[in-house]
Amino acid sequence: MKSNSRDQRGLDLKLDGAPVPISARSTEQTNGSSEDRLPVTTVEVDHLSKWYGDVVAVADVSFAIGPGVTGLLGPNGAGKSSILKVLSGLLKPSSGAVRVFGVPVRADTQLYRRIGVVPEQETVYPFLTGREYVRWNAALQHLPDRDAATERAIQMADLGDAANRRIGGYSKGMRQRIKVAAALVHDPDVLILDEPLTGTDPVQRVHLIKLIHDLGASGKTVFVSSHVLYEIERIAERIIVIVDGKLAAVGDFHAIREKIDEHARTIRVKATDNRALASLLIGAPQVTAIRFDTEHDALIIEADDVRAVYRMVPRLARDRGIRLIEIAALDDSLASVFAYVTKR
Amino acid sequence: MLSTFPILWLTFRQFAAGRATRVVAFFAATPLVFALVYLFNSGDVTANVFLAGVFNQFLAPTIVPLATLILATGTLGNELSDRTIVYLVIKPVSTWRIVIEKFVGTFVVTGIAFIIGVFLTWLLVAMGPEMPKSSALPALLISSLIGVAAYGAVFLFVSLVIPRALLVGVIYILLWESLLARFIPGIRVLSIRHFIQSIFVHLLNDSSVTLPQATQLTSAVIVLVIVVIVSIILAALRLRQMNLD
Repeated sequence: MKSNSRDQRGLDLKLDGAPVPISARSTEQTNGSSEDRLPVTTVEVDHLSKWYGDVVAVADVSFAIGPGVTGLLGPNGAGKSSILKVLSGLLKPSSGAVRVFGVPVRADTQLYRRIGVVPEQETVYPFLTGREYVRWNAALQHLPDRDAATERAIQMADLGDAANRRIGGYSKGMRQRIKVAAALVHDPDVLILDEPLTGTDPVQRVHLIKLIHDLGASGKTVFVSSHVLYEIERIAERIIVIVDGKLAAVGDFHAIREKIDEHARTIRVKATDNRALASLLIGAPQVTAIRFDTEHDALIIEADDVRAVYRMVPRLARDRGIRLIEIAALDDSLASVFAYVTKR
Repeated sequence: MLSTFPILWLTFRQFAAGRATRVVAFFAATPLVFALVYLFNSGDVTANVFLAGVFNQFLAPTIVPLATLILATGTLGNELSDRTIVYLVIKPVSTWRIVIEKFVGTFVVTGIAFIIGVFLTWLLVAMGPEMPKSSALPALLISSLIGVAAYGAVFLFVSLVIPRALLVGVIYILLWESLLARFIPGIRVLSIRHFIQSIFVHLLNDSSVTLPQATQLTSAVIVLVIVVIVSIILAALRLRQMNLD
């Protein structure tokens, strides 16, 4: 068993051993002592592998999470959905085990009284109204006061009057919210959310992010996946990064983010006077190289501290009366970020 | 019903929203055409013989299995194809309950369609020159409903095993139940149709209506009950083992 390499900022990389209790580590970091608060593990993934024929979707992944919001981050096809489907009991692991509250997920359907799942797929029974669908979920959960639970869940998902309309007429974002309402109707202790922000508009997104935050803060274990780095940044403080079915990094989001920011990155800046802007940037210590992109009529800036460059460029341009047309990160895709994290 | 049998409630809503139920109603009403023809031109065929002919040659081998096939393969098969099955299996509900409520939903909707269709067929024949025997209507109804139950359970299981269950079911009905089982004696006793027809002939209790190699009433009922139970058990086990990707 390999030991975990961990730096001082709470970042674990290349974990191949036993499940790593993220929640436990976070507790220690926050309070400075682990003796007064025992680590709580609610979800445990133990040497999980999942393959489809010759294709390996998940390769020997182990981690453990507890209350709070944990993000599962990875590019499309990294194996996030496979992990969440195994966790939800929809897929059988090819090897290894997943446990929620110490119970193998597929072993006991009564475990779903404590788990709420927002699955990836979009189709929800189109012939039901949103309210009927949530109430149907309440009935399947054998809740004593189904009407009250239904109204509470609809309110939490901020569906309002739309709850009385047929789901077949919902937008993608509304379908996501009705799925969230259905997952929340029985007030579960563990929530598994597969790309819950997909298709939501900015207002819906803000509401869902706040809801996820609040659920995590209230002591529930929220495990949420996304392939969008900035989405996860706003949702989760702790993340698990999956690349090519393998665990690439586990830990505090900001620590990983700092690691990423140390990596020299490339930015394209398009301005009304590229040459003048380039002359201003040449002496900046954060800038390692500048070249002209004739195809796009822009500057390509390589920087050690990309955030400093993001702050500096608009200030310099404003001072010299140069109008900025575009600032775009060229290698800020999740794949390149993961590639960097994985190489570490 | 939503509170007590939520999956059954959902099944009824699914059937109410889809076109399949209308197709089943159409199938169940097809014997009426024969009854109308009989009403206006009965010739020298007795009412019992006519009804037996409709059941043994038309309803049992083709119409009952085809109509049942449509709803039975759709009730879980459609949920698999559009992946809404996920919403059922991530609930504290056993696969037994899912399969049984889906089966009951299929049986009730298809059964009601055939109760109406068969009753109206009997009524039209009864309006003709000769009243059928009093056993004719119960024989028709009971045999049809048993057929719906047996085919419903089998096709529900098949829909969890074979992706194109509807197509496979149509081929099975037309090739096996309607053709081979009709003409090849050895195969006859391996068809659901044979046992339904046996039950019908015994319940009709008319010496002018016979069935070659007819199975005893009790035996036929036991065989079909076993078919239903085994199919439901296999369907529940299959659903429990499935990877719902």
